[in-house]
Amino acid sequence: MSRIRTSRALAATLTAGLLLLGACGYDDTVVPEPDTDKTTPAAVTPPVECDDATTSYDPSNDRTAARSELKNNKRLVVGVSADTLRLGSANPFEDNDIEGFDIDVARAIADALGVSLQLRVISAAERITLLKSGDIDLVARNMTMNCTRWTEIGFSAVYYNATQKVLVRKDDVAAFEKDGLASLAGKNVCAPTGSTSIDNITEAQPEAVAVGAANHTGCLTKFQNGEVDAITGDDTVLAGLAAQDPYAIVPEQDKLTDEPYGIGANKDDVDLIRFINSVLDERRGNGAWQASYDKWLKPYLGDATAPAPKYGR
Amino acid sequence: MSQTAPQAAHPAPAPATPAAPATQADPASVDTPALLNRWQLIGMSVAIVFGILSALVQLLGWQADGRAAADTEQLVRVQEIQSSLLRADALATNAFLVGGLENADQRADYDVAIETVLTGITAAADAQPADRAVLEKLAVAVNDYATAVAQARDYNRLGYPVGAEYLSGASTTLRDALDGIPTLEALAQANTDRAEGSMNGQHPFWLLLIGVLALAALVLLNQQLARQFRRRINKGIAIAAVILLAVTLVGVVGAWIRDASNDNLRDGDLALAIDQADARTAANDAKANESLALIKRGSGARFVADWETSAGDVEASLRRDTGDQWNAYVAAYREIRELDEGGDWDAARDKATTDGADGSSEPLDSFDTVSEQIVKTASATVVDDLESGQEIALGVSVLSLLLGVVAAVFVARGIGERRKEFS
Repeated sequence: MSRIRTSRALAATLTAGLLLLGACGYDDTVVPEPDTDKTTPAAVTPPVECDDATTSYDPSNDRTAARSELKNNKRLVVGVSADTLRLGSANPFEDNDIEGFDIDVARAIADALGVSLQLRVISAAERITLLKSGDIDLVARNMTMNCTRWTEIGFSAVYYNATQKVLVRKDDVAAFEKDGLASLAGKNVCAPTGSTSIDNITEAQPEAVAVGAANHTGCLTKFQNGEVDAITGDDTVLAGLAAQDPYAIVPEQDKLTDEPYGIGANKDDVDLIRFINSVLDERRGNGAWQASYDKWLKPYLGDATAPAPKYGR
Repeated sequence: MSQTAPQAAHPAPAPATPAAPATQADPASVDTPALLNRWQLIGMSVAIVFGILSALVQLLGWQADGRAAADTEQLVRVQEIQSSLLRADALATNAFLVGGLENADQRADYDVAIETVLTGITAAADAQPADRAVLEKLAVAVNDYATAVAQARDYNRLGYPVGAEYLSGASTTLRDALDGIPTLEALAQANTDRAEGSMNGQHPFWLLLIGVLALAALVLLNQQLARQFRRRINKGIAIAAVILLAVTLVGVVGAWIRDASNDNLRDGDLALAIDQADARTAANDAKANESLALIKRGSGARFVADWETSAGDVEASLRRDTGDQWNAYVAAYREIRELDEGGDWDAARDKATTDGADGSSEPLDSFDTVSEQIVKTASATVVDDLESGQEIALGVSVLSLLLGVVAAVFVARGIGERRKEFS
């Protein structure tokens, strides 16, 4: 009996060992959690009040003085957008050349200066930083003139008066035209992160949910993927977005704000700004402005004339 | 083996020997048949347990080598997925630079790369259940990526800038934490750890310890018998001990050779396969960053910085047979950056997209091809080596078990002879 019990115990131990051996397996693969970005949000600069945001320096055609302020006196480096259809965008059918209403202004300035033009694609958030650091000479990227920006950079005279509006889905047009901004309550509205557009829409309709994106084209991808219901921005920019999507509509509406566009420059480059103002004057006078507007924006925004400049800063 | 105490040692006349040593059992007070039965059971158990444990340890080693081969194959699969995914991204981003009418060959190469990724994910999920959950998430991420690239391509063909946004969004998301590339890095690391862990599955020390303990037990048993029956060596136990010694020696030497061979593989061909696959992945990442920096047209500082990181990874694994291709690519890339930063974007774009030897694509493609071949050769060597001699190892394991049983039979016979003498 004792021998049988011992044999059974032995057999049981061995069986358990074999089962354990067979059960050897692997732990499931785990993807490590990423380190959370703990960057603190940038301090919000309080808006500066003034009554001459669109007033620039008197024009001058002193080309030598203007060229002396370029970072490279044989080349004009202009920060532009390459994804804002009609204002500044790369055309894949034309060797990816960047073209648009803003680009026409940049080319005219470079031609008048007698230097080559280098277009550098920048984001909206980079405009002031790159001007202040001297990496670029000018910004021709639908840049609104305001008092806060005047404390950091300089501007040319106004070359276009844009207005902030809202783009909605085709099936939301009727509701928007009936109730206006009230129809956006509880809806996701997209605008570029850090832009004044996002502040303006939350001020005008606090019940709208503001959603940020890197740029307006980023808003369009969110719009097409159903992540946002509407996009707000300058009418010029919205026209370019609507041109890319037949279901994106800018309904008839009152403007949210005025957005006067100026060419941005380094605050110290006053001679360059004066020269740009003379170029803008010339374009207004010789019909170049009108031709450019008619080509790029008139089909979407209707008739318009060149804005009158204000000088005396 | 001879018996050194041939004289008869009948235990019966014990009462006539009152001067017997104190250590010797008093036959009058001992139930000798029961004692012999117990010793026989102990001796047989020692031999059988030795056989089973030796066989188990060898079986573990055999299984570990098999697992190491499978783990290496899985690692190669995962790295192939990773390299192909970044190859696809490099092709998609580069094709974008030439406008809406993309190069048909490049498009075909992109399709092949994505197909390799998707079939690789399926094969990897079948091969390793522990990777399945992560691979399912990866399949979703790759599907999202391919969808976004298709949307980007469609819009680009229509000439709409939103196409570029879809493309850069897809590339960025692919590299985001918890999405494509970080997931693949986690998979590669997990399978590297598994392969290296499995290669440490040979245990010569344990085989030696089991053998030494079993032999010590038989020696003790022999001593007990010698005291009882005045014979120094029991023939059956001696034969069993010789069998155990032989099995131990063969097992220890075999496991030790296998262990040393695995160390060489781990530090040699496996390390080479891993490093070169990493280099191939990093090289394609660099090419994608080169294109993304150009798409951003002078505002792609982030992608330029990412290129430098990827290039550093490639150069850490550079070999003599890949150095020329990589150096040619780096030279072309530096020229592209110089042209772009100097304001000649068109020339930079042309250099980045041409198929000619003066562009950056041709040397990068050569590097990719050579690297892929190195990875295939090195990983095949690892797998072949791990799988070689598997039948012999399994045979030795089974033989150890059988010889343990044979040894137990000899122990039983040896003690059985004493029982006969006693009766």
